[in-house]
Formats: sequence, C-alpha cells, structure tokens
Amino acid sequence: MDNFEKHIRKNATRFDTHKADRAKLWANISAALEQPEPKVIPLWKRPMLRIAASVVLLLGIAGFIGLSVMGVGTSEPQYVSRELLDIDRHYQGLVAYQVQLVQNNPNLTANDKAEFLSFMDELDAEYEVLRKEMHKNLDNERVLEAIVANYKKRIELIENLLQQINDAKQPDEDYGYTL
Amino acid sequence: METDIRFTHQTLVEQCKTGNSNSQYELYSLYVDAMFNVGLRLLGNTEDAEDIVQDSFVDAFKNLNSFTYKSSFGAWLKRIVINKSINHLKAKRVAVVPIEVHEFHLAEEEPVEAEAVDLKKVQLGISQLPDGYRQIIQLYLIEGYDHVEIGEILGVSTSTSKSQYHRAKKKLLNIIEGL
Repeated sequence: MDNFEKHIRKNATRFDTHKADRAKLWANISAALEQPEPKVIPLWKRPMLRIAASVVLLLGIAGFIGLSVMGVGTSEPQYVSRELLDIDRHYQGLVAYQVQLVQNNPNLTANDKAEFLSFMDELDAEYEVLRKEMHKNLDNERVLEAIVANYKKRIELIENLLQQINDAKQPDEDYGYTL
Repeated sequence: METDIRFTHQTLVEQCKTGNSNSQYELYSLYVDAMFNVGLRLLGNTEDAEDIVQDSFVDAFKNLNSFTYKSSFGAWLKRIVINKSINHLKAKRVAVVPIEVHEFHLAEEEPVEAEAVDLKKVQLGISQLPDGYRQIIQLYLIEGYDHVEIGEILGVSTSTSKSQYHRAKKKLLNIIEGL
C-alpha cells in the first residue's frame, strides 16, 4: 500500500460529507418494523406431525413401489387401452352425429331408416367382437386397425346414405325450378 | 485491558435485540449518516441511497439475533448496505465491474505507486470515474475492504479484483493529474 492509498484510508471518514434526512428515514423504518411479521408455525417441530408426516411418506413410498411392481406387466395393455379409448371417443362422436343426421332427415322413409340402422347394428356387433378380441389378443395393432376400419365403414355408410338422399333431392328441385 | 472493536455498542445492540424501539433509534442515529454516505457513494443518487439505507436498517433490526459479534455492528450493517447497493446496481444493469474484465490481458496490471493527494481532488476524481471503476475504488480505498472481500461482494475472483483495482487506480491518478 502506497502513500496515496494510506492517506485515503486513514481519512476515509472525511468522504462522509452528506447528511441523511433522519426523520424521514426513521419514520419509514419504524413503520416497517411495526408491521406484524407473518406468523410461521414450524409444523415439523411438533412430534405428532412428524410422525404423521413419516407415515404419509412411508405410505407414499410403499404405494409408489407397489404401483411400479404391479404396473410392469400391465403397462402395454394400459397404453393400448388408452389409445383405443381415444379412437373410440373420436369415432363415436362422429358416428353419433351422422346417425342423428340420418334420423332427422325428413326425406327418408321409415323403411330406409330401419334398413340403415340394421346395417349399423351389424357393424356394432362386429365392433363388440373386435373389442373383446382386443383384450385377449396380443397382436393389438391389427385389432386396432380392424376397429378403425369398422368405424370408417360405418361413417362411409352414413355418408353414402346422405349423398343418396341429396342426389335424389337435387333433380326434383331442378325440375321444380324449370317448371 | 484493550476493548475489542467488535463489541462496540454491545449494550445498545443487545437492547435492540429485545425490540426496544428507543435503543433502535439510538443505534440508528449513530450509524445513519455513515450508511447514507456509503449508499450514496455507490449508487450516486439520494433517492436510491435512502431506499437502500431504510431497507438495510429494517433488515438489520429484524435479523439482529443473527449478529454474533464476529465483526463490529457497524461493519455488519455496512456490509448489508453495500450488498444491497450492489444488488440494486446489478438489477439496474449498471456495471459493477469494469467491462474490460471480460477482455484478455496479456500482461498483469502493474501496481502504480503514488504519493498522498489532496482528498478533495480524490473525491472529484472518483466522481469522474466510469461505473465499475468507481465501485471498486470506493470499496477498496474508502470502505476499506481487501480484495478477498471485494471479490465476494462483486462476485469476481480475488485476482480480478486486484487487477481491476490497479487499472481503476491508474485511471483515477490520470484524472487527478488533469484536475
């Protein structure tokens, strides 16, 4: 340390040339100190809660181990079931909407509707068989494909029917227009 | 028997630990101007310095039980003010270490020897230093920290603190020479 540094350090207090606004600062400090501290209850210090926490922890660990041990064999079916559920949800919505369209159509006779619904019932029955197959069959991919094909067939059927209705309707309207 | 500087105002500090507001005000009165000057030197404006000093006193009084006379109360409080000021500068993205710290220097900065200079010129010279240089000069020369402590405060290595200080001192001496 040279003389320059020694001189400054020795006289450091001479750099304190400003005065603080004591009253203002103290008012703010005392106000902050008077504010009640949020009470923190150290729960972990209570013996009963410690025991309870330990029991919960042990149960949690046991549950986790139990689930992971039991879950090993069932992981794939669970995954496939979830996949199937998603497909189901999608197509069921689609089919239900289109069946409703057919049923509400005023241009269809009762016979046409009954015939259509019987086709649908057949496909429903096929779907149920596939569903059961799904649970016992290991080759789930192929069964899934069959289920999807079943749904597609149903939708195609409905779409064809709706197309036929519209086609049949068109000439009448045109005809009526030229008249 | 020599009085240990660490136990300065021990009685007052102990009374403050019990929450005695008169003692708190007394202790505050003893240190507020010094702390305000520390904050003002580092932050450069009255509003920020007042905010930091207020916060520091509130924190100090609230956490006084953790003060165990490893240093004097003044040194403990000053460290709170300095840490808060540096954090404030960092939050405002003001350089607390000179930008050149990131550059590669082939040669270590040689310490420059200098003689004692008029303190008013030193004060003026410091005020003209760029950010980063100013902080390191203040921490070393006026606040009296060593390079290990400055490294901790600024979050840099001891060697970085040393080399940056030598560079800052050289710049300060150049400025003072031109005054």
